[in-house]
Formats: sequence, structure tokens, C-alpha cells
Amino acid sequence: MIEFVIRRLLGGLVVLYVLSTVLFFVMRAVPGDVVRLQLADAGSVTPERMAEIEDQLGLDEPILSQYVTWLGNIVRGDFGESLWERRPVTEMIGERLPVTIELAVLAIIIAVSMGLLIGIASAIKRGTATDSLLRVTSVIGLSVPNFFVALLFITFLSLWFNYVTPLGYEALWNDPWKNMQQMIWPAIALGVSVAAAIARLTRSSMLEVLHADYIRTVRAKGASERLINYKHALRNSLIPIITLIGLQFGALLGGTVILESIYSLPGIGGLVFRAVQQRDYPVIQACALLYGAIFVFVNIVVDIAYGWIDPRIRRS
Amino acid sequence: MTEVVVEAATIGPSELGPTPAQNLEVRTSRWGRFWDSAKLFAKTHKLGLASALVIILMILVAVFAPIVATHDPVKTTRGPDARLGAPSTEHWFGTDELGRDVFSRVVYGARISLVVATFTVIISTVLGTVVGAVSGYFGGKVDSVLQRIVDAVMSIPVLILALFVVSLMGSSIRNVVLALSIVFTPRFARIARGEMLRIKTSDYITASHALGAKPWRVIRRHGMPNLLAPIIVLASLTFGQAMIAEAALSFLGVGAPITEPSWGQMLSRSREYLTIAWWTVVFPGLALSVAVLSYNLFGDSLRDHLDPKLVR
Repeated sequence: MIEFVIRRLLGGLVVLYVLSTVLFFVMRAVPGDVVRLQLADAGSVTPERMAEIEDQLGLDEPILSQYVTWLGNIVRGDFGESLWERRPVTEMIGERLPVTIELAVLAIIIAVSMGLLIGIASAIKRGTATDSLLRVTSVIGLSVPNFFVALLFITFLSLWFNYVTPLGYEALWNDPWKNMQQMIWPAIALGVSVAAAIARLTRSSMLEVLHADYIRTVRAKGASERLINYKHALRNSLIPIITLIGLQFGALLGGTVILESIYSLPGIGGLVFRAVQQRDYPVIQACALLYGAIFVFVNIVVDIAYGWIDPRIRRS
Repeated sequence: MTEVVVEAATIGPSELGPTPAQNLEVRTSRWGRFWDSAKLFAKTHKLGLASALVIILMILVAVFAPIVATHDPVKTTRGPDARLGAPSTEHWFGTDELGRDVFSRVVYGARISLVVATFTVIISTVLGTVVGAVSGYFGGKVDSVLQRIVDAVMSIPVLILALFVVSLMGSSIRNVVLALSIVFTPRFARIARGEMLRIKTSDYITASHALGAKPWRVIRRHGMPNLLAPIIVLASLTFGQAMIAEAALSFLGVGAPITEPSWGQMLSRSREYLTIAWWTVVFPGLALSVAVLSYNLFGDSLRDHLDPKLVR
């Protein structure tokens, strides 16, 4: 088991290395640089000022030497300073990461519980009107963009219930009630499409298992339908569902950019959006690595979960 | 004997779906088989047919936007009553904060959405399929390197990667297409590679090797037609996702230029007036959702149609 995790971690490191290297060179190869943007901000673009700032930011070194320096620093856990705010990138990310993680975790909890519930109900009642209704709901949920759902929440909660989300972000540990009010709506909006995807896969995966020979055997031995559905069918259909959850986590993180902007939440999404527009290389790099690392981590957890669900995988 | 095997491979069962069994005379021309398959699809998948009709309707609306629209989509109207007007017989979907007709803007917005999604899907399908098929067929070092790149690209959330690319290249419709193509190509490459690995071990590939066919011919004549079914389904589902991604980029203000009416940008502008003018958010959002829904339903039906094993 430990050997397996270490092997996966090493594989993940390779992915992250490729990712960061590609990003490093691509970002410096495209037109539009941070120095010009900063000077345009200050009002005067002169060659002397440009050289001065380039020197300060270390952008006048040859690109390969910049790359080696940067890589060496990363290995030591130093992600550099923001070119605009002149603050350590790790500090900026540290402030904002909890917001995004909370949003994503809340959304995934909502998505998994809703998705499993709908998918199981649909599979058990296969071929009935309930099944058709749930399937239509799922495909609609998959098609409606999360930002549209969020805007509908704001509009109709206000029009019909006179409810407005409290302004001014509060951290979970400062004011849990206010924080939940601010988080729950974007989390639902974010979770809708993931829930729909999980529901569809749960249904088809469970139907596949319900057709298997061992289910017929269990039924012949007189097990109740309830036992068949939950103990035998659900457990055996969980593997593809867990895989899907791992893959959907990425889409969910992408969605946070837009939902944080709609609900004015101070998360990573807003940081990335601003950094990209200001060409703040160190921030972009660090955030990209962060997303990559989360993706790798989630997928390792998924692989460990395989073994937990299915003893056959654990033993091999 | 080998001749027969090769012939059977070129009209493999998965290429264009099941052949209608009740039809004794099986057509052999490409077009004829496509037509039979399409007729069977229309007969067995009513929902798929309906969604195909909605898609066609949407394409027509986009192409004939000047005729369908009731007003000039960019013409602003002055006066206190003209702005943020509720839906009426004059303005079916109401007017926005500059007094522009929302219905006409929704109609014109279909253009950007369709153009971006169409080009994105074409580019990523062709590129991804070719790269994936070639990589899967030859294997080796090139394959490993390509797979690592695919892994790396897929580890970054779709929207974030697209945001990176568009911001770095500058906002234009061309760059949005480019960004989304970069984002979606790896999925096609991964599917095509997986299919190719499966096909590579088939007898008909061995037979064709024995006949002395060059790798390129094997890939083109025997690989491509047999890996097409899952690719077509993925293309249809990607179409909807590309539309959402385009709208999301426009929503964040890095998509299509603001002079062009687009659904994402309309939704973004409506944020200021959500509670006083619900029509500015509901109609563009509905248009986008219905469009994506049609492609998803069509893709689902197509999957069932092309892979009869899945039908239950």
C-alpha cells in the first residue's frame, strides 16, 4: 500500500513538473509583459524605468537562468513574490485557500449526496415514470451553466422571498451562520452539474451490476430487495462513481473562479483572475501548481478509496 | 481469405451503427449506409430527433439573425421608459440597461456561441483524434511524452486553463477558439489512443500488416473508421461544454469583444440589475441552457444508437 502511494506521488510530481515547465516557457514567450503594464499603470513608459524595474524583478536575466533559479526556489518551497504586491505568493494563497476549499468541499458534499440519492432512486425504480422524471432532471442539471443557476438564485430569492445574501465575507470560525449563508448558494450552484453527472453514472453503473449473475444468485437465495440494492449493487457500482468524483473535482475548482466573482468571495479564483490579467507570473505559476497538486492529490485519494471499497483491489 | 477479412474491416459494424435487420438489401455505399443509420436513429430515438431539430432551428436562427431579430441588437434607446423595460408586445424579452432589445440580442448571441463551439469542436476533434490514434498505434517514447502532456493539461481545470490562454493571447473570438481547442483536444486524444490500443490487437490489423500495408494506411483505413463512434459522441457532448466555456469566458470579460452581443456577456451585465430586471438574466441564460441541453440529449441518443450494447 505504502509503495503504491509513493509510486503515485512520484507520478504526480512528474505531471506537476511538466505542467510548471510548460507554463513557465509559454508565459514568457507570449507578448505583453508585466513591466509595460506596471509602467502604464504609473503613467510613464521610458526605457530607463523599464530596465530598472526589470532589474528589480529579475526579468533581465537570460530565460534559462531565470528558469533554473525559479525551479531551485520551488524545490525549497519558495514560490517567490508577487510582481505587483511584492508579497510572498505563499502568503497570498494561504489567506485565500480556505475560502475556495470550503466552497469546493461544500459543493462536493452536496453533489455526492444529491447525485447518489437520485441515481439510486432512478436505478431501483427503473422504467417507471419516476425514473424518467429523474433522468430528465439529471440531463437538465448537466446542461444549465453554474453561473446561470447562481444568478437565478440571487434574482428569485430576492424577488420572491426578499432574501439577500449578507455582504462582507466572514470566515467560518468567526461567524458560522453568516458564513454558511454566503457559502451555501454558490455551493449548490456549483454542485448542480456535478450532482447530475454522478446521478447519471450511478444509475447506469447500478443497472449494469443489477444484471450481473451474482445478483441473481443473491436474489435466488432469498435476500430482500433492500439488501440487494444497498449491500450488493451499490457497493459494486461505486468504483466508476468514485473515479468520476475525482475527475469532476477539477471542473468544480474551475467553477469557483466565476462563483467567487458573483458572490464576492475572497478565494483563489479571484486571485488567479487578477494575476492572469496583470501578468503576475509567480502568482499564476503557484496557482497552476496548486490546482495541479490538488488534482493529483484527489486522484491518489480516489485510488486509495478503490482499495477500501473493493478488497480484491486491496490485495493485489 | 485475407481479402475478405480486409473488406469486412472497412465496413465494420461499429463504423456507422447497426444495419437495419429488417432491410434485406444492405446498402454498401457510404452515403447509403449513413442514410439508413440516420433513418433508424430518427425512428428509435424520438428525444434525439427532437434535440436534433432544436439544434437545426438554432443554426437557422443564427444564420438568419437579421431576419429573425425584431430590432437592431446594438441600437440603444434613450428616455426613462426605454431602459430596463419589462417584456411587452414590442420588446418580447424586454430591454436592457441601455434600452437595447433583449430578444434581438439573444438571437444575435447565438452566432458567437455557435461559431466558437463549432470551430472548437472541429479543431479539437481532428487534432485530438489524429494525435491520439498515431500515439496509440506507434507507442514508445513519443506516446509516453504525449501522455504526460495530456495528463498535465487535464490536471488544470478547464475554465482556468482557458482563462490563462485567452488572457495571455488577448481577447478575440479567434483566441477563445484557440484556448478552448487547447483545453478540449486532450480528451479526444485520450479516447482515440485507448480505442487505438484496443483496435491494434485485432485480427484485421494483423491481416492488413501481413498484406504489407504501411502504418499510415492501416491507421487511416482500419483504425480511424473503427474508433470513430466514441469520438462522435464525445464531440457532441463537447459542443455543449464549449458553449458553456465560451459563455463563462465572456462572463468574466475575456471572451468575445464587447461590441458583439453574446450570452455570457449579457448575463454578466445583468448582474447589476438582477432584482429589478429579471428578464435580462433569464432569457440569455435560458437560450444557453436549451442549446447545451439539445447537444447533450443528442449526444446521449447518439451514444445509444452507435453502441447497441448499451441499450437496456
